[in-house]
Amino acid sequence: MKALLSWLKDFVDIDIDVNTLCDKLVSIGFEVEDVEYRGKNIENVVTGKILKIEKHPDADKLVVCDIDVGDETLQIVTGANNIKEGDVVPVAKHGARLPDGTVIKKGKLRGVESNGMLCSGEELGVTEDDYPGASVYGILILDAATPLGMDIKPVLGLDDYVLDIGVTSNRPDCQSILGIAREVAVALGKKVKIPEFSYTSDSSDDIGNYVSADVQAPDLCPVYLMGAVKNVKIAPSPLWMRRRLRAVGLRGISNMVDITNYILWELGQPMHAFDYKDIRDKSIIVRRAKDGETIIPLDNKTYTLDNDVLVIADKERAVGLAGIMGGSNSGIKDDTTMVVFEAAKFSRENIRKNSRKLGIRSDSSARFEKGVNSFTTRLALKRAMQLSQQMGCGVCVGGMIDITSETAHADTIAFRFSKIKRLLGISVPKAKVIAILDTLGIHAKAEDGMLVCDVPEYRDDLERDCDIIEEIIRVYGYDHIKPTLLENASITHGGRTKEKIYVDKAKNILVGLGCDEIITYGFFGKSSVDKLGVSADDEMYRLIRIKNPLGEEVSCMRSTLIPGMLNTLSLNQSRANRAACLFEFGKVFKPMSIPLEDLPYENERLCVGFYGGGNFFRLKGIITALLGEFGCDLEVKRSDRPYLHPGVSADIVVDGEVVGCFGAVHPNAAEKYQLTEETFIADIDFDRLSAHFNETVKFKAIPKFPAVERDLSVVVDESVPVGELIAAAKQNIPVLEEVSLFDIYQGNQVEKGKKSVSLSFRFRSESKTLTDDEIEKHMKKILGALQHGFDAKLR
Amino acid sequence: MNDKIRELVENCKSRISDLSNMAAAELQKIKSESLGKNSELTNLLKSMRDIPAEERPRFGQMVNEARKLIEEAFADAERKMKEKTLRDKLEKERVDITLPCDNAVQGRGHLHPITLVADEIMDIFKGLGFEVLEGPEIETDYYCFEALNIPKNHPARDMQDTFYITDNILLRTHTSPNQVRVMEKKQPPIKMLCPGKVYRSDDDASHSPMFHQIEGLVVDKHITLCDLQGTLEAFAQALFDEKTKTRFRPSFFPFTEPSVEVDLTCSNCGGKGCKLCKGTGWIEVLGAGMVHPKVLENCGISSEKYTGYAFGMGLERIAMIKYGIPNIKLFFENDARFLKQFR
Repeated sequence: MKALLSWLKDFVDIDIDVNTLCDKLVSIGFEVEDVEYRGKNIENVVTGKILKIEKHPDADKLVVCDIDVGDETLQIVTGANNIKEGDVVPVAKHGARLPDGTVIKKGKLRGVESNGMLCSGEELGVTEDDYPGASVYGILILDAATPLGMDIKPVLGLDDYVLDIGVTSNRPDCQSILGIAREVAVALGKKVKIPEFSYTSDSSDDIGNYVSADVQAPDLCPVYLMGAVKNVKIAPSPLWMRRRLRAVGLRGISNMVDITNYILWELGQPMHAFDYKDIRDKSIIVRRAKDGETIIPLDNKTYTLDNDVLVIADKERAVGLAGIMGGSNSGIKDDTTMVVFEAAKFSRENIRKNSRKLGIRSDSSARFEKGVNSFTTRLALKRAMQLSQQMGCGVCVGGMIDITSETAHADTIAFRFSKIKRLLGISVPKAKVIAILDTLGIHAKAEDGMLVCDVPEYRDDLERDCDIIEEIIRVYGYDHIKPTLLENASITHGGRTKEKIYVDKAKNILVGLGCDEIITYGFFGKSSVDKLGVSADDEMYRLIRIKNPLGEEVSCMRSTLIPGMLNTLSLNQSRANRAACLFEFGKVFKPMSIPLEDLPYENERLCVGFYGGGNFFRLKGIITALLGEFGCDLEVKRSDRPYLHPGVSADIVVDGEVVGCFGAVHPNAAEKYQLTEETFIADIDFDRLSAHFNETVKFKAIPKFPAVERDLSVVVDESVPVGELIAAAKQNIPVLEEVSLFDIYQGNQVEKGKKSVSLSFRFRSESKTLTDDEIEKHMKKILGALQHGFDAKLR
Repeated sequence: MNDKIRELVENCKSRISDLSNMAAAELQKIKSESLGKNSELTNLLKSMRDIPAEERPRFGQMVNEARKLIEEAFADAERKMKEKTLRDKLEKERVDITLPCDNAVQGRGHLHPITLVADEIMDIFKGLGFEVLEGPEIETDYYCFEALNIPKNHPARDMQDTFYITDNILLRTHTSPNQVRVMEKKQPPIKMLCPGKVYRSDDDASHSPMFHQIEGLVVDKHITLCDLQGTLEAFAQALFDEKTKTRFRPSFFPFTEPSVEVDLTCSNCGGKGCKLCKGTGWIEVLGAGMVHPKVLENCGISSEKYTGYAFGMGLERIAMIKYGIPNIKLFFENDARFLKQFR
């Protein structure tokens, strides 16, 4: 909300500087987003009278002027030809600064000394709304009565401040100069002055002679007021009004239109001015549109309406969209001779809904959406009539049309006085409470332990005790609050859920294994899945679409973490980071149905990815270690996920259930994700995995007896997985503590298509020292199993 | 003549029909023999001048058709060759996935700065008896707005630009819906903390469409605004330093009444005024307030018996202040050189 300081002063005495005022507004909850001094870009420009104009001796198009600037006479050379002796003009003296940044310096023009510059309206950044004649090509000629040597800013109305004030959505009443003035009064402890806005009307005439109104949808239009002005003469508005409109960013149009804009700003009530001759059959009907009815409002586009839209109509046709936009044919024109003002209260929900539905946003709809109150609606109509008279626009017709169906809502809020302390934790003295509420226009009485408050009509936001208590503390000051640390609260035990504990633990394990955590967006484009090369019926394609995404690439909720990981690795590669080892924990979204009827399943997943150091077995090591810390063993089987290298990938199997996969990124996916380095990823369904976590830790005695080690090398077909050899070797030998691989050999010493696998065995008994015989027996059994199962030959 | 051309085409096709034992270079060699300067096909074209003028157009057309057929055959063969090469490569690269792990650890990794900040905040509040409870990122209109005293078509909805999935399902714009979920299930005393991702359709230099919030809620008998300030001051002093002060400014949130913006003394200059705090000595960090009685009532908690407070803050903002990170986009770019700085 832009508020002009001088305008605020119409309603409240402000006797402090603007910065102090801003601090006070902030302290009662009105953030001042910007303070602009209107004349901030003009320095050292004064009024001066042209005493003499002479031709320049050496230039046909230049003249030399003597200018009286009050305390001295300056010689200035100018090329302007709209000036004459005796004119009062703006003079930029030596060192002056103009809005476009120009700094004026004295100097010589074709050999003649010039001590400044005469300014045009454009050079001073002003328009016809700031000063008449400002748009003339040439020097701005000021009123001849203007005192000389005076700073130009007050002359142009620029000696003023515009405060841009943030108004929270619960305070629509403050979307106006009057509303802000009320708060300024509260902040300064003063009374706000609301003028009577009185006017005289032609009592021999009555608005009823001209127009009637019928509100057929009182639910959408609880208040509808009309007033008429006859013998209207359309003309520009007076300078004071145009200056104020311009200061808040509006443009002067004509007196009657400017009045409505002025009131919208001053009181926060949108109004409409009808050209009376365009109201057919002298009647206005406020009704719901018929389904399929069309209208062409001011923007000259055709809109098709439905029964939910409120229109302003005459007997024949809809002439305007109520509260949203007036009709193209009933507005004020140069030849308008009679004006009917409309001030109404429309349902804010309905305006909001329909302005969005129709795609029309106007100053009026924006204001109605926030909410207006009938107090202001009434005030606004009076103000419009009063301004019409004051500005000599025409003659006010007696009477007004008032169709009000709204019953004034219960405006008394009563509650126990002790509630103030109960909520705030501090006591506020009774007299102080009453005084604070009084500055807010709330008449309060404290009796029998109760506080009874009469709330003014314009404060729709005050509904119950806590609202009043907030008003008290925001004015009393939050600096009265004394910090206490839950002194009277129950003792509770803090903590995390099991799910959170698991994720936190897993993150710490991964960090210990050298992985950096990443966080990527929860949405992506369908192309992210396309690039993985999965089949059309893959679960990853069951995408939840956002209705209003910021772009195609962020239009679906992610169904997998893999694209986020691959994009991140790709970015790191493109930035020539030599290596990256990353992980992400995050939700992927699995719809029960498409389109979504219920909330989707939010599946916690883990993705690990790296390049530039390590291979498949490093990744396997990371996963094994992670699972191990949760008491799970990793089993692998070849994976057929299409985004993984078929020969360098595996599914992650825990207790027989596949909970994820890992491996090298398939060359096709790598190319599509612009991965230039060999890249490895793992994708794990953490919810499924964590169902297998074994949290029981049972102590096992540290062995008392020594271990015995034996090695064995066998030659097997190269296709035999070593893991299977080890598994087979382990069978049924309780004292076999560990089997490990120490070498694989393929080459000249071994037949082609075969490999030599060297395994190391560690035996230990819990109850005795094992003998050589026993060990030999076990080794024979092992060899037998390998020979039998894999056609292994002892090497 | 016709037959000769046909034979030529067939001959080419048969030479490349079996790629199983052929190398890619060999295919290229056959291609140049079949379509190159000295190929039979080119020779045929050269022989055109020996043919009667009236037959030339028909002959030319036939040769061109033949060329097209041969080219197509090669295109097909080249595609198959590429697939075969990839297949061979993948086969050659095949490893025994059952081999043991490589357990070499290449230095220690790092938690994301958002996680670090969230963990630190949760630790502080866990000590005060707060329970960490997370909620869904995709929410219903009811939990995200209605239950929090933000009715449909209410101007307060403009405070947050919402991504919608359907008319009724949306991406949560704040972590507050989880307050409602918890209060529906549990009677006071409640002390909870909800960290998580939130989404708003806002993407510019200082906004990210996804960011993180952490939300705190206390509902019990005798909870006051003084407790809110005491809690937040204790929190701010633990997170920044023991001299940190808090300041309340009146504000508006539909789900708290009174509502306040909470400023902390600037951690950079200690309140003297610097660039970070724009010379004010204060930085805006939290929104907070006393839980609106309508919200309690919506959750089946008596507003006569209980009061409560709630607060929420953006984790990116906290991390930016704490570590001096200048730009919110850095959090989601995940450049390894960024990630490795936080510990």
